[in-house]
Amino acid sequence: MTSPTKNPAQRRFFWRFAIAMLLYVLLLVPAVWGFVHYHPTGVLAYGLAVLPALPILGMLVVVGLYLAEEKDEFVRNMQIQSLLGGIGGTLAVVSVWGFLENFTQVRHLDLFLVYPLFWVFVGISTVVVRLRYR
Amino acid sequence: MKNRLRVLRAERDWSQADLAQRLEVSRQSVNAIETGKFDPSLPLAFKLARLFEATIEEIFTDEGKA
Repeated sequence: MTSPTKNPAQRRFFWRFAIAMLLYVLLLVPAVWGFVHYHPTGVLAYGLAVLPALPILGMLVVVGLYLAEEKDEFVRNMQIQSLLGGIGGTLAVVSVWGFLENFTQVRHLDLFLVYPLFWVFVGISTVVVRLRYR
Repeated sequence: MKNRLRVLRAERDWSQADLAQRLEVSRQSVNAIETGKFDPSLPLAFKLARLFEATIEEIFTDEGKA
């Protein structure tokens, strides 16, 4: 979601996203550490388990803010196409994988992998979209 | 959509970057519009028209027209 010549909206996106990623690491470490050492139960376990997911939700909000703030309609259009490619690719893989899990012996796909998978597909579709408009 | 942006730019000796700066968009946006790969919104089309002191029809060709 970045370009060699970044406009103000892209710069804000970059910093917000970086802060959200930093928060993710900062919250993931104590969550894992807490579960390994204290084996929390009940509400505390649920709270601690959800904690690292909050910055991920934040990242999605950051993407939404970027799309709302991007003034260059062509760039916004390209980013939306890239995100749609990411959503489509991810849905395609998890849907096919889901049926494979039901009917064959493939390995279980952990749900936390879906989010990074989405960004892999966004990356691929960003390249495809850029080539199309070159 | 076909357009006369390249000619209009050349008449003023503006590069794509010059036009982009005047329109407050990226150079890649100007390139995409100029090559017909991206159709600008009405507000951007009007901005182009004001900049070149022309009507939208004088810049863009209505390909649906018989």
